[in-house]
Amino acid sequence: MVVLRAGLCPGLTEDMIQLLRANGIRTVVDFVSSDLEDVAQKCSLSYKALVAVRRVLLAQFSAFPANGADLYEELKSSTAILPTGSPSLDQLLDSGLYTGEVTELMGAPGSGKTQVCLGIAASVSLGLKQHVLFLDSTGGFTASRLYQMLRAQTEDEEEQASCFVLQLEALQRIQVVRVFNIYELLSALQELRDRLSQQVVSSMGPLKMVLLDSVSAVIYPLLGGRQSEGLALMMQLSRELKTLAREFSLAVVVTNQVTRDSSTGPLKPALGRSWSFVPSTRVLLESKEATWAKATPTQRAASLAKSPRQPTGIQVELDIG
Amino acid sequence: MQREVGTLPLAPALRARLAAAGFQTAQELLDTGPCGLSKEIGISREEALEALQVVRQECHGDAARPAGGSGATRKYTALELLEEEQSQGFIITFCSALDNILGGGVQLSKITEICGAPGVGKTQLCMQLAVDVQIPECFGGVAGEAVFIDTEGSFMVDRVVDIAAACVQHCHLIAEAQQEEDHREALETFSLENILSHIYYFRCRDYTELLAQVYLLPEFLSEHSKVRLVVIDGIAFPFRHDFEDLSLRTRLLNGLAQQLIIIANDHKSAVVLTNQMTTRFGQSQSTLVPALGESWGHAATVRLIFHWDNSQRLATLYKSPSQKESTIAYHITSHGFRDVQPPAVTHSPEGPELNPRKRPRAEEEQQ
Repeated sequence: MVVLRAGLCPGLTEDMIQLLRANGIRTVVDFVSSDLEDVAQKCSLSYKALVAVRRVLLAQFSAFPANGADLYEELKSSTAILPTGSPSLDQLLDSGLYTGEVTELMGAPGSGKTQVCLGIAASVSLGLKQHVLFLDSTGGFTASRLYQMLRAQTEDEEEQASCFVLQLEALQRIQVVRVFNIYELLSALQELRDRLSQQVVSSMGPLKMVLLDSVSAVIYPLLGGRQSEGLALMMQLSRELKTLAREFSLAVVVTNQVTRDSSTGPLKPALGRSWSFVPSTRVLLESKEATWAKATPTQRAASLAKSPRQPTGIQVELDIG
Repeated sequence: MQREVGTLPLAPALRARLAAAGFQTAQELLDTGPCGLSKEIGISREEALEALQVVRQECHGDAARPAGGSGATRKYTALELLEEEQSQGFIITFCSALDNILGGGVQLSKITEICGAPGVGKTQLCMQLAVDVQIPECFGGVAGEAVFIDTEGSFMVDRVVDIAAACVQHCHLIAEAQQEEDHREALETFSLENILSHIYYFRCRDYTELLAQVYLLPEFLSEHSKVRLVVIDGIAFPFRHDFEDLSLRTRLLNGLAQQLIIIANDHKSAVVLTNQMTTRFGQSQSTLVPALGESWGHAATVRLIFHWDNSQRLATLYKSPSQKESTIAYHITSHGFRDVQPPAVTHSPEGPELNPRKRPRAEEEQQ
C-alpha cells in the first residue's frame, strides 16, 4: 500500500499525482488495478505515459513468480546445515540447524535453553569458523560458561598456545547484543539487515547464525489485556526474523518459555497460537525428574514438537554438562 | 534506513492511521515533513512534529550505533564480555558452601531469586547481603551500597546491627592477622554507622507503589552511583492478594522483570528478589513450588530454593547459567548467615511448645 509520490519512478510528476488523487487514486495498488483508458480520459493525461508508469511500478513493487526447479537449485546451493555441537541434538534436528529457517527451543525454567544456545554458538564459532550474533534479552549470557564450553571442545588439540589462540578467535567471532525491550530488538535486527545488505566486511565476517534468547521475555509484557499492538509487534518481529533467515541464508534460533493453562494443566509453549506458526522446527527441553532435587543434574530430554522433515515425538537425551 | 513504520515506538492509534494512509517506511515519513503528515492523516501539526522527532531519533540512533555508539549501545564481542566478567567481583554471603555453588557469590548484573517456605531464612540472607556488599575491596568485597525495598515489613534494624557488627569484627580479625596498610585504612571507613547509612530503605505497601518505586529506581541509581545491590524482599507478597485479573498480573510481573534486568545491566548491580512458595496439587501428591506462576520462573537468571530437611536448612541451586545444580546446608546464627558448623555445640533439650524445626535460642543470644 505505497502512496504515490513524485519521483517514485521517472515519468510520475507532481501534477500527475494531484490529478490522480483528485480522481481517487492514491496508492500504487489503486493505480495498477484501475483501467488506464478510463483514467487517461478522466484526468486528461496521455495513455502512453500512464502505461509506461504502470510498467515501472509493476517491476518495482510486484513479486515475481519463481519456477519450482529454479527454487530447488537455489535451495541446494544456498542452504547449509550447521551442526549444533551435540550429536544427539543433531540427530533430532535431521543432522543440524538448517539455514533459511527459524528453529525454536522451548522449556521450563532451568531446563537448559540458554546452555544449549551457548553450546550451539561455541560449536559454530569454533568448529565452522563462522560468525554468530547472540541477542540476549534475559541477561543470561555468561561469557565464562561459554569459555568453559570452548575449552572443553578444544581439549584434544596438542599445543596449549594454539588452543588458546583458537579459543580467543572463537570468542571474537561471537557478537553479543543486549536488547531488553521489543523496540531495541527490532532496531538491532534492522541494523543487522542494513549491514548485511551493504555487505560491510568489517569486524563482522560471514554471519551464519542468529540466536535470540529469549523471544518471550520481550513480547510477554505486550500481549493480552486491551493492548492491541502486542500481537502486531510480535508478527512484525516474526516477519523480520523469517526474511532475515531467508534472504541472507542465516539459521535463526529462538528460545521460548512454557506456560500452563491452569495450575494443573499440561505445559504448553508460550506466546500462543499465532507464534506457533512462525518457527518451522520446535524442540521441547525437559528435565528428567519432576522435583527440583535432581539426581542427574546435567541430563535433559529433548523432544521434537514440530518439524518439516522428521516425525514428531522423537526424544533424545542431552547432556548440558 | 528502510525502517518499517510498524517497528517505530509510536502510539498505536497513530501507527494505525499511518498504515491506513499507506506509509511503509520511516524514510517516507521523514520526506513528507510535518505539514504534509498532518494533512495526510488528520492530526495536528504539533503531534506530527513530535512523531517525526521520535522517528528521527530512532533512525539516527541506528546510524550512530556503528560509529562508536551512545551509552545505550549494548553490543560486545564475547571476548570483551569475558574480560568484563572476570574482573567483576561477587557479593559474598559469608557461607562458603553457598558461595561455592554460586560460583563465588551473588553475581553482579544478574537477577538472583531466593524462594523458600516461611521462616527458612530468605530475609536473613537479604540483610546479610546488604551488609556484605559494603565490604571494602581489599577484603574481597565490592565496596558498594545497597538499596532495600521492603514489601512485607520484615526488615529489622537491630538484626542488621548484629550482622554488621559481626562483619566488622571479622574484618578486624583479618586485618590484625595480615597487618597491611590498606586494610587499616579501609577499616577506618568500615564502621557500623557507615554500613547502616549506606543501606537505602524503601517501604512499598502494595503493587502500585512497588512498580512506581522500580520505575523511579534508575534515577536514584544514577545519583547514587555506588549502589551495587538492589534487594526486593517479598516480590510475591503484593501480587498474591487482591489480584483478580491473573493475566494482568503476568504482564505486570514480566514488565517488572525486564525493568529489573535493565537496571542490573546498566548499573552493574546485583538484583536479589525473594519469593514465596505455593503448593501444586499433582495426581497423587502435592509439591511445593515457587509462587507467581510458570512465567515468573524465567525472569530470574539464578534461582535458589531454600527448604527444610528435618531440622536442617538446605539451599538448592535450581537454575543458573554457569553452575551445576547442587544442594548445600547452611546455618543462621546470631552473627548472620553462616556455614554449618561441625556438631560440637550442645543444644538444650527442646521444650514441647517450641517449633521443632527452629534451633532454640540460648539466653545470651537474645536481644
